Amino acid sequence: MTSKPIISITDLNKTFPGPDKAPEVIAVKDVTVDIYQGEVVVVIGPSGAGKSTLLRCLNGLEDFDSGSIIIDNIPLNHHHKNRLEIRKEVGMVFQSFNLFPHMTVRENIGLAVRRVRKKSVLECEKITAGLLEKVGITDKIDSYPSQLSGGQQQRVAIARALAMNPKVMLFDEATSALDPEMISEVLDVMKNLAKDGMTMVVVTHEMGFAREAGSRILFMDNGEIVEDRKVEDFFLDPNEDRSKAFLSKVI
Amino acid sequence: MKKHNYLLDGIILIALILAGILVFIRVKTGFSYTWNWGAIPQFFFRIDESGNIKSNLLMLGFYTTIKLSFWSSLAAIIIGTLMGILRTRKNLFSRLTGRTYIEIARNTPPLVLIFIFYFFIGNNITAALGIDEWARNLSGTGKGILSFLFSKPERFAEFLSALFTLAVYEGAYVAEIIRGGLESIQKGQFEASYALGLSSTDKYRFVILPQVFRKVLPSLTGQAISTIKDSSIVSIISIQELTFQGMEIMASTYLVFEIWITITAMYFILTLSLSTLATFLEGRMIKY
Ligand SMILES: Nc1ncnc2c1ncn2[C@@H]1O[C@H](COP(=O)(O)OP(=O)(O)OP(=O)(O)O)[C@@H](O)[C@H]1O
Ligand SMILES: [Mg+2]
Repeated sequence: MTSKPIISITDLNKTFPGPDKAPEVIAVKDVTVDIYQGEVVVVIGPSGAGKSTLLRCLNGLEDFDSGSIIIDNIPLNHHHKNRLEIRKEVGMVFQSFNLFPHMTVRENIGLAVRRVRKKSVLECEKITAGLLEKVGITDKIDSYPSQLSGGQQQRVAIARALAMNPKVMLFDEATSALDPEMISEVLDVMKNLAKDGMTMVVVTHEMGFAREAGSRILFMDNGEIVEDRKVEDFFLDPNEDRSKAFLSKVI
Repeated sequence: MKKHNYLLDGIILIALILAGILVFIRVKTGFSYTWNWGAIPQFFFRIDESGNIKSNLLMLGFYTTIKLSFWSSLAAIIIGTLMGILRTRKNLFSRLTGRTYIEIARNTPPLVLIFIFYFFIGNNITAALGIDEWARNLSGTGKGILSFLFSKPERFAEFLSALFTLAVYEGAYVAEIIRGGLESIQKGQFEASYALGLSSTDKYRFVILPQVFRKVLPSLTGQAISTIKDSSIVSIISIQELTFQGMEIMASTYLVFEIWITITAMYFILTLSLSTLATFLEGRMIKY
């Protein structure tokens, strides 16, 4: 590819202090990845591999120790302005939804649109209506999160992130907290988003989603990217023993 | 659940009643006190020269206690919320600031705090800022408003120092309540706010604090009730609140029991209405 990557990660390292003078935990080790506009990058790997940490570094939820992250030409550093810009451009969907429980669906979606994007009430209403249609829950606009099923809550959370009109969407195990019968309704929304050309970084255990909607697989283990392949190639013929072992377990 | 032992309750209750009767009989025969409840009503209201009904000492004290408790509770909630937030921040300086305030305010006897504030704010700061002068030079209506909301202009400086003392003292407890509330909010709420690009102020204003206040409303009510009760200590600097008026009336009438029973009842009415209001509000709040 010749165009500039929208996310550029170089030599990223991140450690956590160990509990009580125990040696520190290496969560992300020497990660270098470029992600291009419209790619759907699926991050997989065993528990504790550093998938979440890598994802959380991308919007500054976690500070990294060394290396660099550049998103849409903005370096993620300690300049407050840069960080804010990146937070606006990068949407995130959490495993536990994290909807604001005291706000209705409408208010959940509208809050950042009004306060951060500074849209008018009218525009905000339009954006909200459009997104709820997209995620398929137009009739719940005045419900509180507790009145929704898990799948509906997660779809609202996706709509809330999309309302900021981000350039990149991060998903951290977006379906792991859901009852089995609700997983597909959320995955469908994510697949549609991928089809629409959204740049996505998705941490998931759903290999079906990876095959169907993914364009690239990052296989992580012990903080490192062990394999970075096209989806088709990865599933046909994983290079590394660790990937093979992992695949045989999850499929 | 443990099974309730009603027999034991019954025995304790009967023993208490018997003890009460015994004490009553001993006291009754021991010293004689002539009750004079008829003298009390005049201290609530009086009729002035032109025949109008005016509030008298007890009611005036009652109003002052209400005003003082209201403003100091409000100020305590503001101070306590700010300090409670500082206390939970990652930044070391913020945490130290919050911690230092809480420790100092909680570990100083309130009576000592009162004197510090009285002599410092009451005498120096208000003079330096010209608050005293400002209050004295207000127009007629200005003075009326000031009296209605706070206190008589001549006593405004003392009122302010009392207000600050109570606010700082109760604020430390509010800060701990708020800190507890903040710590009970899931990390995900902070992370989602961050990821959406909300400013720190907006995060607290729209996402975190509304949830915190809902959770800690019962504890905050308890603290406001404490403020009402604690407000009696400012009588020491001659703030003419309920307790102060009680001492004045007692000094001139010697109706010791009547006065203090009346005043107890007045405090009780105040605190009980507040907790009733809080219960009502809690019921009205949307459930989520
Ligand atoms: N806040 C933290 N403090 C200390 N150690 C942490 C923290 N977060 C993660 N770690 C450690 O960093 C390593 C990577 O964790 P991470 O959550 O990124 O893994 P993961 O690949 O997302 O795993 P999972 O599939 O279980 O979610 C783990 O060893 C974990 O224990
Ligand atoms: Mg994880």
